[in-house]
Amino acid sequence: MDPSLRAAATGMRAQQLRTEVIANNLANVNTTGFKRSRAHFEDLLYQTVQGSTTIGAPDAATLPAIQVGRGTRLSAVERLHSQGPIENTGRSMDLAIEGEGFFQVRTPNDGIAYTRDGSFTMSDQGMLVTHGGYPVVPGIRIPGDATNVVISRNGIVTVQNGTSAEVTEIGRIEMARFTNPSGLLSAGENLYTETPASGQPVLGFPQEDGIGRILQGSLEGSNVQIVQEMVDMITSMRAYEINSKAIRNSEEMSDVANAMVR
Amino acid sequence: MPINGMTRAAHALHYYERRQEVVANNLANADTDGFKAERVFAQMVEGAIPVANTETDLTAGTLKQTGGKLDLALGGPGFFVMQTADGEQLTRGGSFQLDADGRMVDANGNAILGEGGEIVLPPGQVVIDDSGIVRVDGQEIDRLRIERVPEGTDLTHAGANLFLPDPGRESVPLADRTVRQGYVETSNVSTIESLVDMISIQRAYSAVQKTVTTLDSIRQTISNDLGKPV
Repeated sequence: MDPSLRAAATGMRAQQLRTEVIANNLANVNTTGFKRSRAHFEDLLYQTVQGSTTIGAPDAATLPAIQVGRGTRLSAVERLHSQGPIENTGRSMDLAIEGEGFFQVRTPNDGIAYTRDGSFTMSDQGMLVTHGGYPVVPGIRIPGDATNVVISRNGIVTVQNGTSAEVTEIGRIEMARFTNPSGLLSAGENLYTETPASGQPVLGFPQEDGIGRILQGSLEGSNVQIVQEMVDMITSMRAYEINSKAIRNSEEMSDVANAMVR
Repeated sequence: MPINGMTRAAHALHYYERRQEVVANNLANADTDGFKAERVFAQMVEGAIPVANTETDLTAGTLKQTGGKLDLALGGPGFFVMQTADGEQLTRGGSFQLDADGRMVDANGNAILGEGGEIVLPPGQVVIDDSGIVRVDGQEIDRLRIERVPEGTDLTHAGANLFLPDPGRESVPLADRTVRQGYVETSNVSTIESLVDMISIQRAYSAVQKTVTTLDSIRQTISNDLGKPV
């Protein structure tokens, strides 16, 4: 009965992993720019317990090969880069991306990370930085006496100085796009880093070359849908339960087999 | 001597163990997209010995809407064709993704095949219609290969949601194709049926076990009591 115990155990393990993924999605239901993940499963290799056999004389019945599966395994946890809801905040340094693309930020080890979380702030030097303090690439310095910071849909940052009505352009936000955004590595802090699976970043400006537009005064909410996650959690729970029943049944059969010898 | 009965009972016990293994595998895959359940039935050999025989149940699972641009399912019969390290294999679909080169691949990196080979997608809005034509921003890229196997074929599982191709496969006519973008086909395992199966397997197993104990008692009587002088 060992193989059936093990097959059912792989089923329980798979559901446990799925619940972990769901729990993380739910925990991030209010995380700006968060993208939900989904667990995928596949069946394990099959064991041919008996090849096709002919019984008795050659013209007698031929039994086809018998294959027995050995359970399931997690094949992928895929992040879904669908658009999150755009929430209006009215704050001038909150930027949402509508469409494809990521903001680029410089990490302390001089690497580049990518994010959809545009809740930026200003550093003591006047640089546009993330809440984690990582500067946005290319560096955008907002002068101390700037009064009215406007970031256009195509990423051009303009300010007004003091009381002057003159508008000065101080830079343009550059963004990155990936062939396979699901292949990016989550680095925590709402940041992603490039991997061989994601492909090379394609740099460009907002509203050009398939990159989305920037909406100032808004943030992109999490794309987690609570009802969806709840339904997934229920099915996961039920599948977990039923696999435990399979284990119990196999175990009872072993009991019965043991009882044969008196 | 009831020796014969003992052997048959042993075969029967083995048969029910096999069935339990198959049910356990089906249940473990109750949440595996595109999975097809295995069914076991007994084939009587030499009159009375049951031998477990498995068959893949190709009935459709329900389609679940995911909204994923590269999630594909088939509303009718047929299979998508995948290029694997072991040659072409068949699948009922699932969640595909783009790899770093823009090829449309499954979770294990196997490419899905169109009539022109692997499908490489440029950036843009991907739309796949009923007949399997893949378009990006309105531009036709390729048409997915959809094949079917003759009715009643017992397909062999290759693991990883793939099936070994059957020599009798043929392309599905365009009019009969029902490619569904944004859907995945869920596992066709019925958990209730599996539970009922498990109960009957357990009961039958116990019953056969009782037969073994009874046969054993008879033998005990024969060898110990019959021979005794009165």
